Amino acid sequence: MLWFLRGLRRGIVTTRYPDAIDDWTSTLPSAPAFRSAVLTDLLAARLQAACPTGALRHDAGVLVVDLGSCTGCGRCIAAGGGVVESSGEFLLSARRRDDLIKRIPINATAAEPFGGGH
Amino acid sequence: MIGEQQLDVTAAELRERALSLFGRSLHIRTVDTGSCAVCESEIRLLQAPHYDLHRLGFFFTPAPRHADLLLITGPCVRAFDNALFEVVNATPDPKAVIAVGACALGGIYPEDEFVHGALDRVVGVDVYIPGCPPSPLALLQGLLVAVGRLEERVSELSLDLDRGGP
Repeated sequence: MLWFLRGLRRGIVTTRYPDAIDDWTSTLPSAPAFRSAVLTDLLAARLQAACPTGALRHDAGVLVVDLGSCTGCGRCIAAGGGVVESSGEFLLSARRRDDLIKRIPINATAAEPFGGGH
Repeated sequence: MIGEQQLDVTAAELRERALSLFGRSLHIRTVDTGSCAVCESEIRLLQAPHYDLHRLGFFFTPAPRHADLLLITGPCVRAFDNALFEVVNATPDPKAVIAVGACALGGIYPEDEFVHGALDRVVGVDVYIPGCPPSPLALLQGLLVAVGRLEERVSELSLDLDRGGP
């Protein structure tokens, strides 16, 4: 519904998609993206705890993100303290379910990047 | 004896021929297997002037026998099994099945005595559209991917901002 109202506000009746993607789409709630260079095990565990649908799973040295389970609620972005951002991606259709599962390597070992979340 | 590679090639050719049959007139039947109706709300918006899916040659039909493509939402409640199988079996081949939303993709409900929890545990799925709910543009992309008019891009997508992120 939010999308529909934003579309109306532009004053242009019909979207040009698939020839062009509307510029307002990147500002809407979407799946998270991660800064792997400053992602730590501690934060990854915290992100897993913050995710209400189990879309984020902390494995050894890797954060597994299941885009199929992500609802774009933004709790990981709130808990991520700058390490997690909104990706702005919404064209996520997949032919194989496995394509929706992304692995983010955990590169940092510092205890708390950017002072962490809360 | 047909080798596995030959089988893959034949399957790909068959799929291409099936997709070309859909042309620019494809009829969609939506099936709700217990969703909260927000996916349906977004699907309905596809008909609004802003998204206007008719310009792309997609139309909705209430009859599964007239449908080429099924948009299935919800976590597949077991009580709905008979109706779901009837709809899937009544849809003539070649058909495409799209799982819509995080419920149908297995993200929200675990498998238990009430729900299957994911559509692909019950019927074969051709395209998965994630989102809670998927936006109308995401649904449009899923439809175009399903009929082969767009390539999917999520397999190449990186969510790592430090390694060529989105």
